[in-house]
Amino acid sequence: MKVQTLVSKYGLRAVVALALLLISQPLIYLFIRASEKSASEIADLLLRSKTVEVLALTLVLLLIVVLINIFLGTAIAAGLHYVKIPYPRLLLVSTVLPLAIPSYVFTYTWKALIPSLQGLWAAVFILSLSTLPYMILAVTISFQRIDAGVIEVARSLGLSKISVFFRVILPQVRRSISAGALLSGLYVLSDFGAVSLLNVETLTVSIQNLFKSSYDRSAASVIGLLLFFVAAIFVSFESVLKGREFESRGAEGFQTRIRRVANPTLSIVTLSVIALYGVLAVFTPFYVLLSRYFQNPGAVAISDLTSAALSTISVAGLGAFFAFLISLPLAFLVSQGASAFSAISGKVILAAHSLPGVVVGLALVSFGSRLGPLYQSIFLLAFAYAVLFLAKSVASTSDSLALVSPQLREVAATLGKSKSRIALEVVFPIALPNLALGVLLVFLTAMKELPATLMLRPTGMETLATEIWSFAAISRFNDAAPYALLLVILAAIPTFILTIPRTAKSEFEQKVRYL
Amino acid sequence: MTSLSISHLSVNLGEREIISDLSFDLRQGEIASLLGPSGCGKTTLLRAIAGLIPPTSGAIRFGTQLVGVSSVVLPPNKRGTGYVPQQGALFPHLNVGKNIAFGLDREIYSKAQISEITEEMLSLIGMSGFEKRLPSQLSGGQQTRVALARALAIKPRLVLLDEPFSALDAALRDELRSEVVGLLRKLGSTAILVTHDREEALVSSDRVILMRSGRVVQNGTPEEVYETPISPEIAASTGDVLILAAQKLATGETRYPLSLLGAAVKGSDTGYVVIRPEEIQVSKSDREGIAGSLVHIDYYGHDAMLSVNIADSITPIKVRVIGPAQFELGQKVYLKHLGPIRYFARG
Repeated sequence: MKVQTLVSKYGLRAVVALALLLISQPLIYLFIRASEKSASEIADLLLRSKTVEVLALTLVLLLIVVLINIFLGTAIAAGLHYVKIPYPRLLLVSTVLPLAIPSYVFTYTWKALIPSLQGLWAAVFILSLSTLPYMILAVTISFQRIDAGVIEVARSLGLSKISVFFRVILPQVRRSISAGALLSGLYVLSDFGAVSLLNVETLTVSIQNLFKSSYDRSAASVIGLLLFFVAAIFVSFESVLKGREFESRGAEGFQTRIRRVANPTLSIVTLSVIALYGVLAVFTPFYVLLSRYFQNPGAVAISDLTSAALSTISVAGLGAFFAFLISLPLAFLVSQGASAFSAISGKVILAAHSLPGVVVGLALVSFGSRLGPLYQSIFLLAFAYAVLFLAKSVASTSDSLALVSPQLREVAATLGKSKSRIALEVVFPIALPNLALGVLLVFLTAMKELPATLMLRPTGMETLATEIWSFAAISRFNDAAPYALLLVILAAIPTFILTIPRTAKSEFEQKVRYL
Repeated sequence: MTSLSISHLSVNLGEREIISDLSFDLRQGEIASLLGPSGCGKTTLLRAIAGLIPPTSGAIRFGTQLVGVSSVVLPPNKRGTGYVPQQGALFPHLNVGKNIAFGLDREIYSKAQISEITEEMLSLIGMSGFEKRLPSQLSGGQQTRVALARALAIKPRLVLLDEPFSALDAALRDELRSEVVGLLRKLGSTAILVTHDREEALVSSDRVILMRSGRVVQNGTPEEVYETPISPEIAASTGDVLILAAQKLATGETRYPLSLLGAAVKGSDTGYVVIRPEEIQVSKSDREGIAGSLVHIDYYGHDAMLSVNIADSITPIKVRVIGPAQFELGQKVYLKHLGPIRYFARG
């Protein structure tokens, strides 16, 4: 075989292998650190009552929040889609808006109202508020994909509306419910801000405490690995549960509109539940933030605010850029179709996806001193963001590339273009708007990241997230308000992008994967 | 002069053999149709000729140049084939003019030459003035025309059309097809048209290549494949047929339900006779024919297909008649087979 053929065949794989190696660094560091302890020490650490207690609490929290999501989230989505209500589109946006509010901002606004708020049930309350939009969005989009013709056929075959819901609709959205559960579950497992402010010691809090108090990084690494395994088990559990994918595509170009159920009681119940959620998850936080801000508009100097905003933007921007660079070869691989190699890459990406921020932060910080000038620079933090949000980035990048049909590439080849010219003249120009949107979404998500930012930011650098965190931790709510308002407004941008009606519905469906 | 020569070509996709030991030649300026049911390997063959998939064994030659054997494959961008895929596949980010000029290398052509060729192509497809339009602003037929112009602009050695008209509605399809074929003939292009529409294959090409599960089963002019099919099955793939049990006598004559010798004796039928519905004459009064009763009429407007039950055949006899319907259901009619008698021995 010619050298050129070899390069074109294995070149991509070599780059992919390099990318995979890069993103598995945190995990490798963690293993190395943890293995500094002897087996008996590790066993002692894992089996001591404190660890068992923390693990149990984490799992209970995970279970309750996921169950609330499955029932309440699916019910709200069903109400939004199938019950006759005024302004359904607007109501959908309002139930999805809480995505813009990080859990630590939720907690701080509620604590500002009820200072005694703490404990497991408070954490259940806050984390349910934070995660419900994931479930609502995932399931709503799945509902939209169901061909209304199927529902009409089921009705004509003698099924009542209720049996239609359970026998025809629910089986088709099972996969989305499962995907929503995965997103909210991972959110709960990796959350640090809310549980920490509410004095609930979950694994993330434990890791942070071990890391800060004793500087026993090996012990922290062991617990970090424990958390990673819990998350990995949860992820693989989901992939077993979700079952088959249905291709429920109706006839092209023709879709029957669904007829909403016009039952006054049902409409009132639906509207009340949505209104209650809106009051708790949108109105209250904004009310608190605005009132706290106007109580003392000058609490924070403009210069502090702008410097925090600038560092947030630069480090999150760099992170999004890194994530994009690393995801590019992976996305190319994904777009080339299934192979054993792409299956392995998928697993590594999924593993990175289940790494909580606190674990990535810990891993990079423990090895920081060996990284020379990188340590204590914004590059290391940006790299942490890249690892944390790689799955999002790969999803959006590969979807953008998939929009360029292979036929176009083939035609370009028959017209005399080499592979690199095709990439340059056909693939990138067509994929560019979506690629840019993907980078923007990762960027806006990275701005909200807290635990890794706390551990990895260079000394003296404050981001919006760390400022909110440090003021909220000492109950200086007025000082936190301007930072939080700014962050929430910036973070609301992707939420709006995701929910504005698009010309092509499929585009909208795809974007949910980037959340 | 031979323009394309394919010899003993096999193509595997994964484990499956899609094309097996396939050979045919095309002369310069010849237009050939690849006709076969979906999944028979037509598109795969076309893509192998374009260089988009490598052959497993066998050879593809353009004139005398070897472009594809299993070990050495000339990449698609060095072949100079004008490929028009289904639904055109225009570049959505480029306007009509830039789509047409896409394959014109700026190192070979000057700017002026490129715009000259683009203009020429636009007028060739009757779309002068559409240069600045985006593909999304064109109708389906216009998109197909631009895709053809884009392929022709590089002065291809071979034009490959993969069901280019399949997405268009019937009326437009016929019109555009004859337009495109006229254009290819005017330019003297050698072309291959993939289709599963039997009429399209017959009307637009010099040569019809019939494919079944990766092989060529018959290769000839449209008249040859229609008039002298090599099997009853092939006959059915190029038009409507009647397949009747028949018996060859020692005298050389053939007995079948419409023969004057009467039907084959039960149990002694050793083959089939294949008749086209337009080869049977039907009349209301001609007593020389075989009597039957009219049981069904499919009325198509320009013609009609009659179904006639006769004593010697279980299957009704289909007869095509031109013009307005002059028959009534239940009427007694007389059938006369005008020939030819295509006899196929069983098995």
